[in-house]
Amino acid sequence: MKPVIMVHGGAYAIPDAFADECMAAVKTAALEGFKVLVSGRSAVDAVESSVRSLEDNPILNAGHGAALNTNGEVELDALIMDGKTLAAGAVSSIKNISNPVTFARSVIEKTEHVMLTGTGADQFADCQGFPRVDTNELISEKERRNWEHRKRYGEGVQEQFNSQWVHDTVGAVALDSEGNVACATSTGGMCNKMVGRVGDSPIIGSGGYADNNIGAVSCTGHGESIMKVTLARLILFHMEQGKSAEEAAEEGLHYMGSRVGGGGGAIVVGRAGDWTARFTTERMAWASVKETTLSYGLNPNQVEVKLLQVV
Amino acid sequence: MVPVVVVHGGSGKALTREEFCKLGVQEAALAGYHVLQQGGSALDAAEAAVIHLENNPIYNAGFGSALNELKDVEMDALIVDGRTLDCGAVAAVRRIANPIALSRLVMEKTNHVCLAGEGASRFAKAMGIKEVSEESLRTEYSIKKWEEARHFNEDSGEESKSGTVGAVVLDSKGDLASATSTGGMVKKMVGRVGDTPVIGCGGFADNLVGAVSATGHGEAIMKVTLSRLVIFHMEQGMSPSQAADTALEYMKTRVKGKGGIIVISKSGEWTAKFTNRRMAWATVKDGILHYGSQHGEHNTRPLANTSGHS
Repeated sequence: MKPVIMVHGGAYAIPDAFADECMAAVKTAALEGFKVLVSGRSAVDAVESSVRSLEDNPILNAGHGAALNTNGEVELDALIMDGKTLAAGAVSSIKNISNPVTFARSVIEKTEHVMLTGTGADQFADCQGFPRVDTNELISEKERRNWEHRKRYGEGVQEQFNSQWVHDTVGAVALDSEGNVACATSTGGMCNKMVGRVGDSPIIGSGGYADNNIGAVSCTGHGESIMKVTLARLILFHMEQGKSAEEAAEEGLHYMGSRVGGGGGAIVVGRAGDWTARFTTERMAWASVKETTLSYGLNPNQVEVKLLQVV
Repeated sequence: MVPVVVVHGGSGKALTREEFCKLGVQEAALAGYHVLQQGGSALDAAEAAVIHLENNPIYNAGFGSALNELKDVEMDALIVDGRTLDCGAVAAVRRIANPIALSRLVMEKTNHVCLAGEGASRFAKAMGIKEVSEESLRTEYSIKKWEEARHFNEDSGEESKSGTVGAVVLDSKGDLASATSTGGMVKKMVGRVGDTPVIGCGGFADNLVGAVSATGHGEAIMKVTLSRLVIFHMEQGMSPSQAADTALEYMKTRVKGKGGIIVISKSGEWTAKFTNRRMAWATVKDGILHYGSQHGEHNTRPLANTSGHS
């Protein structure tokens, strides 16, 4: 099986000022994940590695650079799923952790649970000796300004939706050489969200889903809408019915728009290695690597292709 | 449309105090049905039925919830409105009597779908919901269960989860709703979130298809997004009963998990299915109360007074 990695850096009206940095971030993350795949490691390892790269980049809303809640704090959500066993690990509303996706993976590996939240998750992190960072380290100047702006004008999350101030989730999907698929999603959520708000990202079937018999999906966009239609699972249901990754993603996103009025995006890899990046927002930064080709885009229907040097 | 209320009181290997469990679900189904007769919506009825079960200490929800590793109560709940797919959920919430009522407030009073932990408690306070003491939520039985379970494992999980409660309702306007509430598993980790508050896992409702509420091994239910899977099978033309059997069988083979589900279709067909040994369930439709808890058990009795009952 030819391995495939895809990543996204969130679907929203990405301002021109950040566009180049967002594109650089997703390309770097895709190449990171691809390196893991060509070294013979698993799809789960690859999505974790790609998402860590995105979390570490302060331009994106996950890990470093996450959006702030109404109290001006960072609360992070993440999900990782192994398509071979359907094993999933998720964390929500966690603080002081710079790589939530790795923490989510330890929920799969070290507990009998799927999801941990809040203080319980924090206690588990301490038990595991998980590296902790100071909250201030996770807060970028950009997000602090964004939050202050939001506080001053008292804008609710509804109004933010699709505005250029909504920064969203990051995510990755992968297919490894053994035919295993995986997905990972990580986010700081919405700016000025309520304390304890859980969005779609850590929700299995909404923020992501992976099943070796079908494929893997990671979603981004208006979290509440994504949850109402369980978008990731919905896209895979369409693929189970024989639709291509592209048709399935189109249909899932279109349904979300018409039924609950939400915009968003999804990256999908099918079990045969077909892949797509679709979105109904103005922009979504995405990149994929398959064989020797790096593909990427930002605007609707934009697909740039770059040949990689053969290693 | 002929209204229908279906309620479950959780599934498990053994329902200790089985007779009480069977009684409680009948009362809850009638409580939900009564709300419909008084002109309430599917959502009102599902909430009322679940509140009834949360208030009954025999079930693992609200009063009588299972205790976590620190012997505390942390509860999860989800409510879904089939008209709009709107939903509200709370996860790992403490010291309130009726998590299902709080989830409805999340749905109706916030722009969010799910609030967890301290955030959920803060919201409860802001909504003027009375805080109850940790002790008041514990029962002799939940303490005994905690002492018996030396540590959390899947097996104890399955058994101790016999008690998640849920309701699905179709009202005379054709609107559907689903509500589910639980204390989770005995000796679960602090902060553990099970399937119950996770949309598409613990429950789902869509007026165009049907409504589902699930119970059983939470981690398995999440891995297969059980409720959404049942709805998906119904979208493909299966009856509620076929869809429930197919989804539960898939969960058993793919992730080795057992559980139970109650389902109503948009046309009012209903079913209660489970792969555990028992699940207490009750249904009210057409002036008849149906109930049971073992495989093949289906009792019926006519309601004494179907209209104007108060």
